[in-house]
Amino acid sequence: MSIINYAQKEISFKIVYYGTGVAGKTANLQYIYRGLPDVNRGNMVSLATGDDRTLFFDFLPVSAVTVRNFVAKFQLYTVPGQIYYNMTRKLVLRGVDGIVFVADSQWDRLPENVESFRNLEENLKEYGYNLDEIPYVIQYNKRDLPNVAPVEYLEYMLNRKTRRVPYFESVAVEGKGVFDTLNTVSRMVLVAGFGQEQGALNESK
Amino acid sequence: MSPNDNLAIHEEDAQRINGVLLHFLGESGAMESLLIDRSGQLLALAAGAFSSTAAMARLLGETEFTMLFHQGVKESIHVAAVDEHAILLAIFDSRTTVGMVRLFAKEASTAIGAILAETRTRPQRTGVLSTPLHKDEVQSSLRERPV
Repeated sequence: MSIINYAQKEISFKIVYYGTGVAGKTANLQYIYRGLPDVNRGNMVSLATGDDRTLFFDFLPVSAVTVRNFVAKFQLYTVPGQIYYNMTRKLVLRGVDGIVFVADSQWDRLPENVESFRNLEENLKEYGYNLDEIPYVIQYNKRDLPNVAPVEYLEYMLNRKTRRVPYFESVAVEGKGVFDTLNTVSRMVLVAGFGQEQGALNESK
Repeated sequence: MSPNDNLAIHEEDAQRINGVLLHFLGESGAMESLLIDRSGQLLALAAGAFSSTAAMARLLGETEFTMLFHQGVKESIHVAAVDEHAILLAIFDSRTTVGMVRLFAKEASTAIGAILAETRTRPQRTGVLSTPLHKDEVQSSLRERPV
């Protein structure tokens, strides 16, 4: 749910990076944190276990465009990927405005990706949200590894709902594709929040 | 997602809420008070902690724990549920007591709950934000730091 604060001239949105364990969700946020000028970013909060797996969430506030004198702020969250932490994943999804589904491109991680996507749909359903209505994009990460599945195949497995969504190939640790992903999802969130004149999103690509 | 989930805080509501919070600070002797959203807007960690206690409460068969208290050596935090969406957080030190904070937090959260309920019945977007975005405005501009 977006929050508009007329007194402070701010609009805030929540974007959640979802996906299976070790897919690179935290790596995305870390790169964004490093890549943004200080004025546009807040502190990054990470609640991780000793071996760097996300335990609760990572959180990074980012202030971006000014839309009609209102500063648009995006709160970026990641979820813990392991199946085990579903309760936490569900909590983090509360009030989400946009989602980045981070998929691990390696062949042997395919079943986990599919399972995680299904889990996302289920968790959204419990809040009464529907993936057909929430803006989301898919990011195929780890494209630099040797054992990755072709993008067409990943598309067939994951991006097959009634509405095909934008996808990105990425190497999150090096930052490849990270900002393309974030820019697109934030744009989609803005448009979903405010509506747009006919064709605005397509033309702006 | 239902559009009613969205919250628009208009200037006069913000002023009224500020008034309630100031009154709360004066009466309870707390140092700071914050009104935050349960989805993590404004204060991700506090919202996360509150959500996880709510999940624990459900394991016990309660609907939720309506208050939460973190005691520190010098400063402590009191967190109270306002309504389905909002939480009132107060930071206080030894100059007051948890009882005082709790008493007035209850009063303040009821008052704020009423203001927020009223806010939700108003139109979400007014003035400049009520018209759809022009294509130039849809151009996102999260600018990367030049390498």
